[in-house]
Amino acid sequence: MALRAAVLRHIRLPVQTLPAAGSRPQSQLSFLRLFSSHDDHLTKEEVIDRVLDVVKSFPKVDPSQVTPDVHFQNDLGLDSLDNVEIVMALEEEFKLEIPDKEADKIDSCNLAIEYIYNHPLAG
Amino acid sequence: MGASKGQKLSGMQKQVLSLYRGFLRAARSKPAEDRRQIESIVSAEFRQNSKQVDRKNFLYIEYLLRRGKKQLDQLKSPDTIGLSSVNVSSSKKQNADT
Repeated sequence: MALRAAVLRHIRLPVQTLPAAGSRPQSQLSFLRLFSSHDDHLTKEEVIDRVLDVVKSFPKVDPSQVTPDVHFQNDLGLDSLDNVEIVMALEEEFKLEIPDKEADKIDSCNLAIEYIYNHPLAG
Repeated sequence: MGASKGQKLSGMQKQVLSLYRGFLRAARSKPAEDRRQIESIVSAEFRQNSKQVDRKNFLYIEYLLRRGKKQLDQLKSPDTIGLSSVNVSSSKKQNADT
């Protein structure tokens, strides 16, 4: 902490006044970060497509059976261990970490799509 | 771990799934080939147990969970790159005479 304070005391950042709107070079724009969670959020269609792709590529699944409201165990004949594997494959696809409590609830494409679509960090 | 329609997981089932998930997560941090091997062994073992072990045999399941957790802790160590399973069959041992 003391080191941090000492460093902060001595560092001075140059303050730049940005030129008026219109003549903004690309490099300066990159520092202007709009903190909206919606500008790069996935569309529902994209989430649905990618979720279905992940499920279809699961080795034990018959891709022709896969629809957006299909239930992993009841419709696709998977067991609960497969369920865990599918949710983990979805984690990797969307770069998420899904806590156990939520993961245990995701047992159908519907729930997977809902969860991922509503997740602010889905990528 | 029979597929349960209507998915009401018992506390014990949740522990098993949590352990399974733990193994798969740990496997992610290993090199690709080791990861595949780990996944294949863990998957086979969990499934075999789910078929052979009586769901009501709580004592044995708890033992397997404890053992699994220890193995998982070892697996998480960066020094461990993989695991293998050995089938031990009993054979008559010859005692050497001194």
